[in-house]
Amino acid sequence: MLAHLIEELPQLIVNGLVVGTILALPAIGFTAIYAVLRFPNFTVASHATMGAYAGFVANVWFGLPVLPSLAVAFIVPAISGLVCDEYVLKPLRRTSAATGPMAAAIAAVALTIALENVIRFVFGNDLRGYDLPVYRDWRFDLGFAFLRVGPQQVENAAISVVVMAALFTFLAFTRTGKMMRAVADNPMLASIKGINAETVARLASLIGMGLVGVGGMLLGLDTSIDPLTGFRAVLTVFAAAVVGGLGSIPGAVVGAMVVGIGEELSLLVLDASYRTAVGFVAILVVLTFRPRGILGERAY
Amino acid sequence: MPNRLTRRALAAGLALSPLLAPAVVRAQAEPIRLGTLTPLTGAGGPYGPAMRKALEGVVEAVNSAGGVAGRRIQLYGEDSQTNPDAAVRAARKLIDVDRVSAIMGTWASAVTTAVAPLCWESRTMLFTVSGADSITQLPHRGYIIRTQPNSTLQISKLAEFLGAQGAKRIFILAAQTPFALTNRQVLEREMPKYGGQLLDQVIYDKDKTVFRSEVDQALRARPDFIFLNGYTPDVTILLRELYRAGWTGGKVAPAYAINQRLLDSLPAEVTNGAFTWAPSPDLESPAFKRLQTLLGTQDPDPYSCQTNDHASLAALAIAKAGAWTGDAIRENVRKISQGDGERVTEVTEGLKLLAAGREINYAGASGACDFTDTGDILTCPFRYEQAEGAKLKTVRVS
Repeated sequence: MLAHLIEELPQLIVNGLVVGTILALPAIGFTAIYAVLRFPNFTVASHATMGAYAGFVANVWFGLPVLPSLAVAFIVPAISGLVCDEYVLKPLRRTSAATGPMAAAIAAVALTIALENVIRFVFGNDLRGYDLPVYRDWRFDLGFAFLRVGPQQVENAAISVVVMAALFTFLAFTRTGKMMRAVADNPMLASIKGINAETVARLASLIGMGLVGVGGMLLGLDTSIDPLTGFRAVLTVFAAAVVGGLGSIPGAVVGAMVVGIGEELSLLVLDASYRTAVGFVAILVVLTFRPRGILGERAY
Repeated sequence: MPNRLTRRALAAGLALSPLLAPAVVRAQAEPIRLGTLTPLTGAGGPYGPAMRKALEGVVEAVNSAGGVAGRRIQLYGEDSQTNPDAAVRAARKLIDVDRVSAIMGTWASAVTTAVAPLCWESRTMLFTVSGADSITQLPHRGYIIRTQPNSTLQISKLAEFLGAQGAKRIFILAAQTPFALTNRQVLEREMPKYGGQLLDQVIYDKDKTVFRSEVDQALRARPDFIFLNGYTPDVTILLRELYRAGWTGGKVAPAYAINQRLLDSLPAEVTNGAFTWAPSPDLESPAFKRLQTLLGTQDPDPYSCQTNDHASLAALAIAKAGAWTGDAIRENVRKISQGDGERVTEVTEGLKLLAAGREINYAGASGACDFTDTGDILTCPFRYEQAEGAKLKTVRVS
């Protein structure tokens, strides 16, 4: 039993880390929007899919390499996220301070279904794959266990880490980033200091959905894409954001790692079909002991 | 006393006159009513119209040859909408208003399951192309005949194929579906007959996006063949993972999972060598060739082949019985489809032989059409294909 555990553990942790780094991007996007706009924008599912398809169009139809395609996967959902918020969700949020966010959250669920079907209408239900070679995994002999790591996964994880680092740099060192953090921490105080909350809200939607789009494409690079790509990942993304602390960007990264590694390690004791439940058990456990999530809701 | 034609005499005369009239005239009498409940819309929509046309072809042929039991067949068609609610309403209309003696061509298992009780309660025969094992396990008292192989037969055929490929150690990676457990049980039971064994099964959540650890679990068991019992999106990911993991052993999946869509979305080296299997029409049968002409296609789908047989079986059973009730069809359908009778593949040929008092054994476009007591087909041809260069090539049909 112990030998079996030692043999499997390194591989499961590596698999979990890779899953976690990819999940972190949409989780950050979701939580950043929550931090500034104070409502859960459930359109992340369709925007992740939109990112995957935008990247697909750039990569397969226009023959662009992966990195420029990722830029397209950022831009298209970012613009869509901004437009959706401006014309659909914002008017609903403003109807009432008490019920507005709830109305916007419910409208976001409807909107995500509508967007998913727009994608279905344009691209059809067929599976699509990026124009990328599939490489055999690298294998490492650890002495007590074999470890296999895929080049594509390493590349995806590296892209995700670079994007996260850029985001943290932006939030920490730029004037606009500091404005965003100020609004997230205390909108009233930020407004007294002359920060335009409207601009910051738009920026949050733009960057948040852009990150979700990049996450969607990274998911697609590793698998194939269809109109349900984002929807399949979204429950885990929510779980990651909530576990880390809804509204906390580092929390989203920690939450994604906890959920990613937790789901993989659960295979030691559970059947694979119960993996999705692990994210929700993690929510239950973390919120029981830390009702505001692992890192609380401080935005940064 | 003058010879007066009383109303009673007139009525008696009219009642007897059809018996005295020649067959052609009698065919103008009250027609035999049969119903179709194919999916013209909904998920089955792509199949329904051809299924209906295949049924109509048989009815036209029978009517042109003078009908059955001296009567024409009148077909009443409804759309199941691939929706149990809509199908139940349509079936009620067919049974209560149109008074059909058989309903043919139900496609989705959920539709068939919903319509079946109406049929057996009203003694209406139900011919279906649905595959779920549970359908023929319903208490239908013989009123259901199914031309689609159930999943037990499909897995038994897979075991036979894997045995022929020399597979000894099989591992199943299965999506979480109602048939995953049954399939495993059947494969576990069947493999030893061909010198192989089922090592284990991992049931995965098909909505996940990464299956690396599931693939690792499969590979640790050291199989020589992996059965990917899922749907296209998850099987795509599994094939990619297997390739990355350096898997060079055999892989097999249902034809609805590894289809051209999947092959187009993955590099060929990932899918090369993967086997698929699926129930197949009897490609060599004259009935199949006639159906090709009727439908104007070289590749009629399996469901059209089956509904073509539904209409033929119903017409022949009615001819054998000399009666056109659901009970008559139920009692006689096996008498004309199996046994030692003369083999026929065409409905009018069968009608002639029956009229001459001969026994027949009908085999149609979908296969032998031999049924168990519970209404399942005993066997049917299967088509085995292998992916090579992003195309499927037929390995064998048997």
